[in-house]
Amino acid sequence: MDMNEIKEIFFQECEEQLAELESGLLKLNDGDRDPETVNAVFRAVHSIKGGAGAFGLDDLVGFAHVFETTLDCVRSNKLEPNQDVLKVMLKSADVLADLVTASRDGGGVDEARSRGLVKELEALAHGEMPSAHAEVAKPAKAEAPKPSDDSGFQPIPFTFDGFDDDVPAAKGSVYEIGFKPRHDLYAKGNEAALLLRDLSKLGEMSVGCDMEQLPTLDKLDPEASYFSWKISLTTEKTEADIRSVFEFAEWDCDLDVKLAAAKPSDEELPMVPVPFDLSSLDDELGSDTKAADEAAAVVATEAAANVSKMAAAAARVEKKEAAAPAPAPAQAAATAAAGQTIRVDLDRVDRLINLVGELVINQAMLSQSVIENDASGTSAVNMGLEELQQLTREIQDSVMAIRAQPVKPVFQRMSRIVREVADMVGKQIRLVTEGENTEVDKTVIDKIAEPLTHMIRNAVDHGIESPEKREAAGKDPEGTIKLSAKHRSGRILIELIDDGGGINRERVKQKAIDNDLISPDANLSDEEIDNLIFAPGFSTADTISDISGRGVGMDVVKRSIQALGGRISISSRPGLGSTFTMSLPLTLAVLDGMVVTVAGQTLVVPLTAIVETLQPEASAIHSFGATQRLISIRNSFCPLVDVGRILNFRATQANPVEGVALLVESEGGGQRALMVDAIQGQRQVVIKSLEANYTHVPGIAAATILGDGRVALILDVDAVVAASRGQSLSPEMSLAATG
Amino acid sequence: MAAKKAGPGSLKLSSVLDLNEASALHAKLLSMRGSDIVIDASGVERLGVQCVQVLVAGANAWDDDKKSFAVQKPSDAFVKTMQLIGLDTQNLVAKEI
Repeated sequence: MDMNEIKEIFFQECEEQLAELESGLLKLNDGDRDPETVNAVFRAVHSIKGGAGAFGLDDLVGFAHVFETTLDCVRSNKLEPNQDVLKVMLKSADVLADLVTASRDGGGVDEARSRGLVKELEALAHGEMPSAHAEVAKPAKAEAPKPSDDSGFQPIPFTFDGFDDDVPAAKGSVYEIGFKPRHDLYAKGNEAALLLRDLSKLGEMSVGCDMEQLPTLDKLDPEASYFSWKISLTTEKTEADIRSVFEFAEWDCDLDVKLAAAKPSDEELPMVPVPFDLSSLDDELGSDTKAADEAAAVVATEAAANVSKMAAAAARVEKKEAAAPAPAPAQAAATAAAGQTIRVDLDRVDRLINLVGELVINQAMLSQSVIENDASGTSAVNMGLEELQQLTREIQDSVMAIRAQPVKPVFQRMSRIVREVADMVGKQIRLVTEGENTEVDKTVIDKIAEPLTHMIRNAVDHGIESPEKREAAGKDPEGTIKLSAKHRSGRILIELIDDGGGINRERVKQKAIDNDLISPDANLSDEEIDNLIFAPGFSTADTISDISGRGVGMDVVKRSIQALGGRISISSRPGLGSTFTMSLPLTLAVLDGMVVTVAGQTLVVPLTAIVETLQPEASAIHSFGATQRLISIRNSFCPLVDVGRILNFRATQANPVEGVALLVESEGGGQRALMVDAIQGQRQVVIKSLEANYTHVPGIAAATILGDGRVALILDVDAVVAASRGQSLSPEMSLAATG
Repeated sequence: MAAKKAGPGSLKLSSVLDLNEASALHAKLLSMRGSDIVIDASGVERLGVQCVQVLVAGANAWDDDKKSFAVQKPSDAFVKTMQLIGLDTQNLVAKEI
């Protein structure tokens, strides 16, 4: 493994640590004072520092070090993490993230900002509060690390003692551990006593030393290993945690960890277990104390440890603790259960998904040919095939689940945006997230970040009022934006709720009239007015600000959401706020479609686009101009679009009465009736990219393979509708291009 | 090995008893076989399992020889490490008598 690979893993871990850091800080911000939360935050920064040191990323190490020092003050209760302190810390987390990005991708960071924060952090470590009104909980004492001089970052001594302050209470499971070091363990510089010490930190431990193998003094090889141990450990940690203590020694020892059913019986231990007091052991046992005097030495040692740890991770066998998904209103997410994860290349997962897609198609083809030869459907083959069908569906679901990821990382990014934008516009805003462990396909996650960012900016800039206005309206000067995600009937529902002023319908309407979007005498319902904000080129901000209102409006948001096969809607109550609701498919790899026939070709129309289907009657069809036709549906007129004509499948328009009309909703908000010749049925299809396998085809989003082995094209509804408005079917209009 | 002393020998343990020290300690003990021994553990700051192995083997050897093997003034680090690895210091210290 080369250094770059290890470095890449370091950056991946940084991402995780940064997420951990941010979620910890946000928890503290919400009033959580659990020491474990503070420890988790400290550990995150500490790990980043350790890894960065190994790669000589000095800027990162320097900043992380100052940050860590201040966090240490919080950990040791010298600094009360109040709102003002956390504001500085959250900003520091942002800068730390920037530094990580800069270290990975090159480029610089805002040095003035980072220097400013270093000063603020140092001031905090000295018990100076960020602003005059802040209340000082306990002044930091001389123990607080010395300030570094302005010239740079001075190494500051620190110890790990704080971690050991509270040994977990003796509850949980009892593990029986057999540990027999081999000669190599010592030869490689490991020390069994230190491993036992680390183990003792996991809970209450009693140790029996087996000295049977010890030869007489004259036959003894002083560098060999003779002692072995039977340990009984009562802990709340998992077996994986226990094994991780022996992580670097596991090849050089015989290790046996098993869960004891009941309290261990003494007779199983060859020696009387010696109760063991952990206090002050750290000072005497190892090199830690000495090293604590020289922070640099510690960093170096840790750096080495980190490299080997990362090397292990790169071997794709890393077992790590992962926070288990908490229930949706995750307020009580105090203790995250431990799980095991492995890191897998996305390419491999995609290859698997592709293969399973093929399997599904193949199975459908097989079924179809059996059905053709066995009309009654009773043969054993047929029955077996049904089971196969169920199995393939299950395999497909499981494979899709591998790609599914919680929306948490995207949501966390949003909290930073809220902070920064709110600062910029001088508003006080709190972002509340809910259901951040809701899982959705990774592709969807990657693609919702941008529209979501835009909407969040809009909500901060336009949605929430200024503190003065809010107070005048009798509201809390601090506005709240709530971002929530949940699963709803096979889709993911993301809601963005602000408690701002709601949509100013008067102004929206006026703006729409000014922009010639509607006629001045148009009679619109409240809902229709609200939806005007999705019209292309609409911006209500009085002043064009840096944050939003750059001419890229909600229409772009709506288009990106639609490109994902999703929908977005808004509801607003004047004075109380607005709610944006996005509904997105859970995956982009399969799609529920309606299979239709157009001019002898089989096409698939995404089910999400279809509002209803109907059989037009001759009396309902009206001609309009030379070529346009309208269909009358429940007393309103809707343009009729012949799909076969638009896609050039046929030279002349088909007779609408002979076909079926699919009523679809287009991006402009209006409806269109797409004419097709016949409906074959509904089914879930596996999406195959046309761009990857052939080339882009205007009006077509992708392709799929049907059960009979034929390729069917998946219709790009928006592109077809746009083409019907007289725009050509150019690639820019395609779903793929907007997506 | 080497000369066996008639009178009680004394041995002051080094402050760091790690892997590197195990061979030296082993050699010293071998050289002091045959007479009572008083081991001063007051200066021990770090104690590794391999030196403990040597000390326990030493205590057994002295026991076989019916000689006294006494560990005196064990430092906290010494006691704590012995406890940690599941050895009652009595095993060694008690042999003082």
